[in-house]
Amino acid sequence: MTSIDPRPGTSVLPARASVPQRPLARRTLDPRTAVVILLAASITIMAPGGVWFVPAALVVGLLLALSEGAYRRALGLPLAAGLAAAVTYLLPLAVRSPVVGLFAVMAGFTLRLVAVGGIAAHLINTISPPRLTAALRAARIPSVFTVSGAVMLRFVPTIVAEAQAVRDAMRLRGLGGVAAMLRHPVQSIEYFTVPLMASSLRAAEDLSASALLRGLGSQTRPTAMHPPRFGLADAVAGSVVMLLAAATVLWRSAR
Amino acid sequence: MILLKDVRWSYQESGTPAVDGLDLHVRRGETVVLCGPSGSGKSSALRLMNGLIPHFHDGKLDGEVRVVGEPVTELAQVGRVTGTVLQHPRRQFFTDAVDTELAFALENFGTPSQQIRDRVGEVVADFGLSELSGRLRELSGGQQQRVACAAAVTHEPPLVLLDEPTANLSPQGIADLTGILRHLKELGATLVIAEHRLHYLRTVADRIVVLHSGRAEREWTSAEFPGLTDEILRREGLRSLNAPERTGAPPISAHGPSVAPGENPAEGGVGVAGGKAAGGAADTPSAEGSGVALRGLRCVMRGRTILDIAEAHLPSGAITAVTGPNGVGKTTLARVLAGLQRHSGRVLLDGRPLHRSRRQRETAIVMQDVQRQLFTDSVRSELRLGAVPEQAERAATVLDELGLDGLGDRHPLALSGGQQQRLVVAAARLSGRRVVIFDEPSSGVDRRHLRSMTRTMREVAEGGAVVVLISHDADLLELAADRELRLRPAC
Repeated sequence: MTSIDPRPGTSVLPARASVPQRPLARRTLDPRTAVVILLAASITIMAPGGVWFVPAALVVGLLLALSEGAYRRALGLPLAAGLAAAVTYLLPLAVRSPVVGLFAVMAGFTLRLVAVGGIAAHLINTISPPRLTAALRAARIPSVFTVSGAVMLRFVPTIVAEAQAVRDAMRLRGLGGVAAMLRHPVQSIEYFTVPLMASSLRAAEDLSASALLRGLGSQTRPTAMHPPRFGLADAVAGSVVMLLAAATVLWRSAR
Repeated sequence: MILLKDVRWSYQESGTPAVDGLDLHVRRGETVVLCGPSGSGKSSALRLMNGLIPHFHDGKLDGEVRVVGEPVTELAQVGRVTGTVLQHPRRQFFTDAVDTELAFALENFGTPSQQIRDRVGEVVADFGLSELSGRLRELSGGQQQRVACAAAVTHEPPLVLLDEPTANLSPQGIADLTGILRHLKELGATLVIAEHRLHYLRTVADRIVVLHSGRAEREWTSAEFPGLTDEILRREGLRSLNAPERTGAPPISAHGPSVAPGENPAEGGVGVAGGKAAGGAADTPSAEGSGVALRGLRCVMRGRTILDIAEAHLPSGAITAVTGPNGVGKTTLARVLAGLQRHSGRVLLDGRPLHRSRRQRETAIVMQDVQRQLFTDSVRSELRLGAVPEQAERAATVLDELGLDGLGDRHPLALSGGQQQRLVVAAARLSGRRVVIFDEPSSGVDRRHLRSMTRTMREVAEGGAVVVLISHDADLLELAADRELRLRPAC
């Protein structure tokens, strides 16, 4: 436990304390840039013929991972994409069978998901819910979406933690295993969902009470401690994305 | 500052009023403690003051409620003049970093950006939060409560409401909180604290108000505190006003980096010593081998050693308390014992090594949030689930013993918190588990329930089980612990 000693005479209350630093925020993209890149990549890649844009999206994902120092992802992303591409394009050449064909189709979808996932992972890791909400507000997205989006982002980890606790409790009562799940699937789902809902509701009650008392969703127009602002990182990212997209279009027309 | 006049309130789902003719006047700058047995209406009184009643909870309200001179018309309005700290700080955090959490209310109330940054900077320095750089969920309970207090006052409300703020705190965490309360008082804040533990408030409170059945029955001013004997407080069902004096249970035989040094019997080669269990199995030399033994136990998470115990023996037939500061690995040890946590080293039960999956079948945990472990739609079927056949017919007797008779057909989620806890204990007893772990069972529990909880644990131990009690609650530890395993940070 670190020390705090705010007893009379020992507390230090500087007239103007230092403004909290935001080391990550300056170096990362503005959430609006990240969201636009993610949306553009998703729409382009999932559209017919979108597979052409997979290499460009992978390069973007790789550069973003390197920029945040996520070296494991920077390594894993091309590996996963390479594997999916091999199953999609090379395996059917080596083995001609309908089953392999089915696998190849599935791997094709996986390849697209990996390409988009690399960009999404960057967004999730570097942009906290409050920054995202502030950016969406700055982009004039109505509060009905920003507030519910923020609550959802905040509540997902709680549900995951509660689900893990319920799963532990089930294992200790002998209700967990795969065998039990296969024997009584409906009952197993009930055993899992009822306590999960009960405990999640309780957690949700505390969270919403505290958030409402601190003005979430009130009539006042909210402000931000660090108003979102575009910077050099956004300009660089925008240019790289445009260049890669142009290169892809040229490559495609050349073929 | 606060005026409650003949207030009556019933929650929609309940027939009986939670608050029934409550009159209370809190003056500006005063520190008032609301206490009373479980269910006496302490939390409801706080909810009346911050507007959660009737603007968040549904029910029927009569009487007059005024906060800072105004009737409460909407939550955001009362939110500007009050700061609320709940029992579980982790549950009330909306963000995952100190500065964003502190800024949250100011942002929502439309404060200009520069002012937010200045004020957050001040509060960070004032509450000593600058070194808490990690994620909020990874901080210790005491640190989280400190952030929650800071977040409640960043928008400078004149009134701060705290609902059992020490329920999950270690003695060090409680000492920290006491400092914070003193500081808030210095700054001129009005404090209302609903609490079972009174000792830390002795030097902070101006007035203690005792609630019974939703109304203020008694009131003591700080001048009267010295005359409050333990006998008077016991009659009211209240905990002591003096800091619990822990004589300390004899330590179990244990050593290793995670084991706090002390008069450790392992170092002197002494075995388990006598405890509170009257004639318990652990007192006899022949019982040395029975129970759980840990050998070279090590738990590493994300490159950090959480737990490192070279050797330890938790005897059967006794209650072994696992203590130590917040975040020291007590819950991790419980998960290891229950087979829910990967680790290196061995865990033996009665001298036989026990694999993780086998341990899951030999262990029961009474979790802090018991709703997570109630699976069926009636008390009776909850007891049948996982009960060993020879024990199943004892269901009625066990229900009776635990004060749950006549509730066999009730839905477990419709029981009170204490009843739910006892139901989980009953299920553990009928399943014949050899290791039963109680994880902070006394948070939010009054003096009377503290004793019944101890009785329950004692009965489980007398049945030959290894009972492990994880708790910070000095009152409960003093009552229940036969042995102690005191942990310290492993590295």
